[in-house]
Amino acid sequence: MYGAPWCPFCVSLKAKLEKRNIKFIYKNVDDEGVRDEMSSLTNGNQTIPVLFVGEIYKINPSEKDLKEVLMSESESSQKTYDVIMIGAGPTSLAAAIYTAREDIETLIFEKGIIGGLAAITDMVDNYPGFEEGVEGLALAEKLQKQAERFGAKIELGEVQSIKKDGNVFVLQTTSGEMKSKTVLIGTGSEWKKIGIPGEQEYYGKGVHNCATCDGAFYRDKRLVVVGGGNSSAQEALFLTKFASHIDILIRKDSWKASEVLVHEVEKNDKITVHFNTIPDEIIGGVVDGLPRITKVIATKDGVKTDFETDGVFVFIGLKPVTYFLKDSGVEFDEFGFVKTDKKLMTSVEGIFCAGDVRSGATMQIASAVGEGASAALSIREYLEALNR
Amino acid sequence: MKKITVFTTTTCAYCGMVKKWLDSKGISYNVVNLDEQPEMQKEVYAKSGALTVPVTLIENDDNTEEIVIGYNLSRLASVL
Repeated sequence: MYGAPWCPFCVSLKAKLEKRNIKFIYKNVDDEGVRDEMSSLTNGNQTIPVLFVGEIYKINPSEKDLKEVLMSESESSQKTYDVIMIGAGPTSLAAAIYTAREDIETLIFEKGIIGGLAAITDMVDNYPGFEEGVEGLALAEKLQKQAERFGAKIELGEVQSIKKDGNVFVLQTTSGEMKSKTVLIGTGSEWKKIGIPGEQEYYGKGVHNCATCDGAFYRDKRLVVVGGGNSSAQEALFLTKFASHIDILIRKDSWKASEVLVHEVEKNDKITVHFNTIPDEIIGGVVDGLPRITKVIATKDGVKTDFETDGVFVFIGLKPVTYFLKDSGVEFDEFGFVKTDKKLMTSVEGIFCAGDVRSGATMQIASAVGEGASAALSIREYLEALNR
Repeated sequence: MKKITVFTTTTCAYCGMVKKWLDSKGISYNVVNLDEQPEMQKEVYAKSGALTVPVTLIENDDNTEEIVIGYNLSRLASVL
């Protein structure tokens, strides 16, 4: 490989080759004569990195290029993991602590945030072991560190499909094709949209799902928060750090949230709660050079009501993330969650599922972690039977 | 060489993931925290058309710019 220490693409390529246990000679183009040598071998090319495999060379090779030139030499392209976990939320991180600790070769794929929805939750008050509560991101980082301490690997990328080929599963991913003896689906869920005019148009420009990401844009502004569950209550409380006032719109005539959270919301002077209130339309524009929502039109107790506001945060529930399971053979319940047996195995032998994406899950971080641990024990049992 | 700036807020976990990904690729970047520099919000919106973070601004040698809104791995990988 021809490269230089100041070249980020060279650093990245070197790391990839080392990760694949590929033996290679590294030549620094800043050393005397090396740049001319590289240029003479590559038709005058001056761009780095350049990777030679025998007589074939690639300039700044992509993942696809690497697979093409290294296929016969790469161990990782032929590697079959014991378990590939999809989604690095609390479920898979907990499962990985168990599997990796027992030398079960574990790879976790994550296309979003390590820690999942827990990582973007401001404060988690009901996770056992933290008497003062714990910031979601901090909890996620602790879970990640613990899993990695035992050797679990986390790949930042997306699983696009899963198929069974004989005794192994073949996963198509943004990091190439991966193989594994078992799979754990731990993809959790994502926020539902209300589905009203203005919501998509202003998404990311006044309509948000992530209070910890975007709350800071609304210092001393008015906000509307939509939803009647724990997330709505918790995130509204977080947003009071920035907003001057928050109107919470709840479809039903009462909260679904826990009493503790409801009590906190009720004693907060910055928050007004509106029951029997259904948002109908989000109206926005540009104010002082920034996108702003100007109002939410809702139906409150059957009467059309305008809520003046600068932004809207929506927390109306979660839907399972399962798009990559199309054609996998995995069965779902009537709401789209993955069905499992008592051992947390799906309808496909060797594919397990745990956490929020599973039919019957209770949508709590504590139970997600518990299910991850249970799934890990089932996976271990399955692998032991396979190896007999 | 490309100049990369990541616009963040203090509590934004997706912003942390963009930084982790850039670090894993050995790509250097600057960070602008919009909590600490709220006056930059208008500039970010003017460039990105969005009022959200993370926003990754890539300034190329030929003075062109690319913007990646959110933690969008496939877009980050293709641009960088």
